[in-house]
Amino acid sequence: MTRRSLNGAGSFGAWMVLAASLQVLGCAPEPSQDLFAPTEAQMKLRSFQTRTFDVSDRQVALRAVIAVLQDLGFIIERANEPLGLVTAARFSEPNYLEIVGVTVTVRPQADGRMMIRANAIHNNKPIEDPKVYQNFFASLERSLFITKE
Amino acid sequence: MAGVVLSLALLSLSSGCVTVPQEELFQLSPESPKNRAMQTRMFETSDEKELLSASAATLQDLGFEIEESVWDAGFLRAAKERSAREWGQHIRRFFVLVVSFGYVLMPIDLHQKIAATLITRPLNQERSRHEVRIMFYRVVWQGEGYVERAQIPPGEQSSEMIRDPVLYQQFFARLSKAVFLEAHKI
Repeated sequence: MTRRSLNGAGSFGAWMVLAASLQVLGCAPEPSQDLFAPTEAQMKLRSFQTRTFDVSDRQVALRAVIAVLQDLGFIIERANEPLGLVTAARFSEPNYLEIVGVTVTVRPQADGRMMIRANAIHNNKPIEDPKVYQNFFASLERSLFITKE
Repeated sequence: MAGVVLSLALLSLSSGCVTVPQEELFQLSPESPKNRAMQTRMFETSDEKELLSASAATLQDLGFEIEESVWDAGFLRAAKERSAREWGQHIRRFFVLVVSFGYVLMPIDLHQKIAATLITRPLNQERSRHEVRIMFYRVVWQGEGYVERAQIPPGEQSSEMIRDPVLYQQFFARLSKAVFLEAHKI
């Protein structure tokens, strides 16, 4: 009898601990599962963050990207030629506390063209306005055209 | 009341409340060709490596430390840290304190990092000409300030591109001496 009651108390304690830990877990901000799931919005975002150019030389494309970022007043932070990667940032100037960051990747495609993708961040929030990327690619197109000559 | 209005006006002046619309973030500004001309020189050489290493040496001569270098992309990043204290700011801070009857204590610049990013780039197919573009900018750390009782925390930084053409001219004068070549304006 005593053994059973002890046993009962033990299991009750265990249940309490489990319940408490579950509650603690419940309180913690849980990352939602769709954080990594592809959504339609993401597909759209990717489509206007990406553009393909008629350039076969990756180095030419990468250097045009760097040149255009410099023209836009960006500070180049990192550049990796073999991976075709450029990271840059700048403070948007009338208000010196706003930060714009951008990562551009340059990848050759099977058909010999170059795929360029830009991801921009404004004050720690991804920019999702297609116009911003249109402006970037318009400037890049001009720069590539100049370097071709 | 007047003090509060004045302090608000001063605060808005000091922080610059203008926000740039997002679409304009990646648009070329009217002054970008001017900046480009100021920051770029062309050298008649096929030796990009020599140009890049001479640039690094020139930056070192000017007291910079090289933080990052990528030869494949013709890229250098360098920085030096210095005091940013200026007498003018101390004087202005004092007068603002007096005029606002002790309401506003403006933060002053304490420390700055002067940084440079440099890119070399071939200008033609034969790679017989190269351009060098350098951008100087500075990041400033400020000390604390007050508006009435509200504290403006220290360390809030600001950054700006350095637009003094003399600095760029000096750099390119040194660089052209180092590579024994004339620096052509673009």
